[in-house]
Amino acid sequence: MRRRRARGHPPSARLRGACIAPIARPPTSPPRWPRWTRKAPSSRRYGAIFRAFEPLLRSQARWAAGRVYHILLRPGQAEAAPALEAQLGALLGKAFELRTQPLPDKETAVLIVVPEHSAPQVEKLLAQGRISEVAMPGPWAGQTLAQAMPAMQARLRAIPGERATLERRRAELRRREEPWLRHAARGARDLLARLDARALSRLTRHAFVLEGWVPAETRPRLTTALRDRFGDTVVVEEVARDHWHAEEAPVVLRNPRLFRPFELLITLLPLPTYGSMDPTPFVAVFFPMFFGLILGDLGYGLMLTVLGVMLRRRSAEGTVVRNVAEILEACAIFSLIFGLLFGEFFGDLGRRAFGLHALWFDREEAVIPFLILAVALGAVHMLLGLVIGTATAFKTHRHQALGRGLMAIMLVLTVVALLASVNVLPHGFLTPSALAILGAFPILVVLEGIVAPVEFLSTLGKVLSYARIMALGTASVMLAVVANELAGAFGSAVVGVVFALLFHVVNFALGVFSPAIHALRLHYVEFFGNFYSPGGVAYRPFGHWTPTRTEPS
Amino acid sequence: MSFWIPLAAALAIGLPALATAWAQSRIGPAGAATLAEKPELTTTVIIMVAIPETMVVLGFVVAVLIMLRGGA
Repeated sequence: MRRRRARGHPPSARLRGACIAPIARPPTSPPRWPRWTRKAPSSRRYGAIFRAFEPLLRSQARWAAGRVYHILLRPGQAEAAPALEAQLGALLGKAFELRTQPLPDKETAVLIVVPEHSAPQVEKLLAQGRISEVAMPGPWAGQTLAQAMPAMQARLRAIPGERATLERRRAELRRREEPWLRHAARGARDLLARLDARALSRLTRHAFVLEGWVPAETRPRLTTALRDRFGDTVVVEEVARDHWHAEEAPVVLRNPRLFRPFELLITLLPLPTYGSMDPTPFVAVFFPMFFGLILGDLGYGLMLTVLGVMLRRRSAEGTVVRNVAEILEACAIFSLIFGLLFGEFFGDLGRRAFGLHALWFDREEAVIPFLILAVALGAVHMLLGLVIGTATAFKTHRHQALGRGLMAIMLVLTVVALLASVNVLPHGFLTPSALAILGAFPILVVLEGIVAPVEFLSTLGKVLSYARIMALGTASVMLAVVANELAGAFGSAVVGVVFALLFHVVNFALGVFSPAIHALRLHYVEFFGNFYSPGGVAYRPFGHWTPTRTEPS
Repeated sequence: MSFWIPLAAALAIGLPALATAWAQSRIGPAGAATLAEKPELTTTVIIMVAIPETMVVLGFVVAVLIMLRGGA
C-alpha cells in the first residue's frame, strides 16, 4: 500500500468525495433504559407473592383496626415463623394473629396482625430478627399490601391492552418515519466520514493537499479516474517509503479466491501488522488437513459436505456464513480423503457392512503410527513457522531472525537424532547431531538471550502438542465404533439402531466442533507463535456508508 | 493384563485432566475479564487458556503407551 498526495485548486465537495481516508468510528451503544424497566421479572415474582397473600388478606378484613405486616421469609428462614409466633405470644399474649403460607420457590409468606398500640414493640422485634416487610414497588411505596393490591391488579389487567396499543403505534411510526430516518442516518455518516477526512487535508488560497491510503494495486485506477474528471488540475503523488512508518499503514488481506474464506480465521485475531506475513495461505492448507486427520471418516465427511452445501445455498456471496460454508466444504473434502485412507465409514460400519479396507492404516489398531504421523506433522508445521519467522524478521530484527533460523536447524537435528536413536536413520547420525544441538545452545543464548534455550524446549513441547490430532482422532473413531456396537447391544434391533443413530449424531456434532477448535488452537498457539505479529489496523476506504453486520441499519 | 496397568493408564490421563481443568478454571475467568476491558488481547488470552491443554494431551499419549506396551 502506498500513500499519495493530491494537489490542485480549492476543493469542490465532489473532489473531497473522491479522496481516500480511513474511517474509524466506534459503533453507537444502544440507549440505556432506567434500571426498573429492565427488571421485568420482578413483577412475576410479586405476582406469586400476591397470590400467596390473597387468602391471608381475605381474613384480614376482620381486623381492620389493627396494624398489618406482610413478611416474606427466605428459603433458609422458614423455621423463624414458629419462633416469631412464640415471641409475639410472650409479648402480646393472645392479642395478635399470625398466618403462614408456603410459596413455590421455598419462600414463606407470613401475615401478622397486631393491635395498633403495640406496633412499635412488634417492629422492634422484627428488626431484631432481621425480618423485613415486603416492599411495595414503584408508585405504591409506603402503602400496605391490602391497600395496594386492588390497584396493582387493575394495573396488571390494563397492561396487555396498553402494550398492544403501543406496539401498534410503534409499527405505524416506523412505517411513516423509517425511510427518511434511514436516509438521514446515511447522510450523517457520510458527513462524518467527510469531516474525518478533512483532518487529512490542508487548504491554502489557491491549492489544497489531501493525504490518504490506497492499496498499491488500485493506484492506477485512482490516477486515471482523477485525470478523467479534473484533467491537469489535480496532481497525484506518492509519498516516498522513507517518509512514513509501517505502523501507520492500514492493512488489507489479499489472497487467491480459493484461500479467501480462510481470512475469516485470521480476522478472529487482531490483524497482522503492515509488512508482516499474512498466514492465510498456510492456514488454508493446514487447517482443513488437521480437521480431516481428526474426523477422517467417509460417513461424517458426507454429512459435513451436505451441511456445507446447505449453508452455501442459504448465504450470499461475501458474507461470513458463506465463508464458514466454504471452510466446512474444504474440511469435508479432507475428511473424505482421510476417511478413504483410514477405511472408515461411520467408524467400522463400512468394514462390517461392505468390507471397506484401510488404504493407509487403520486408526483403530495402529495407534502408534498415527501418533508418529501427528507428531511428525507437528515438526513440519513448526519448522515452517520458524522458517516464516526467520524470513519476516530478517529485514528488521536480524538477531531474532538468526535465532529463529538456528532454532529451525536445531529442530531438524533433534528429529534426525530421534530417528537415528530408533534406527530409522543410520545409527551413526546420532552422536554428531546430538553434539551439534549441544553446540548450538550457546550460540542461541548469544543471539536471543538467556531465555532462548527455554524457548527451544517449548518449541519441542509444541511439536508434541500436535499429538492431540492423534488423541482426538482415535477418540472420534472409538466413539463411532461404540455407536455401532450399541446397535447390537439391545434386545430389540429397532431400539438398538435408534440409539446408534442418536450416538452417531452426537459424535458428528462433537466431530465437527472439537477438530475445529483444536485445529484453530494448533494454528493460533503453536504455529503463529513463531512469526505472527498482531496489531494491524484494518483498511477502511472512504466512501458512502453502508450498514454492516455489526452496526444497526 | 494385571490390575495395575489399566489403573496406571487411568491415572496417566486422569491426573493431567484434573490439572488442566484446575489451571483453566483459574485462567478462564481472568481471560474473560481481560477481554471485557481489552478485546485486542484476544490472541494472548486464547494462548493463555490453551497452554494447559497440552498436559492432558500428553497424558493421553502416555496412557495409550502404557496400555499398548504394558498390556501386550
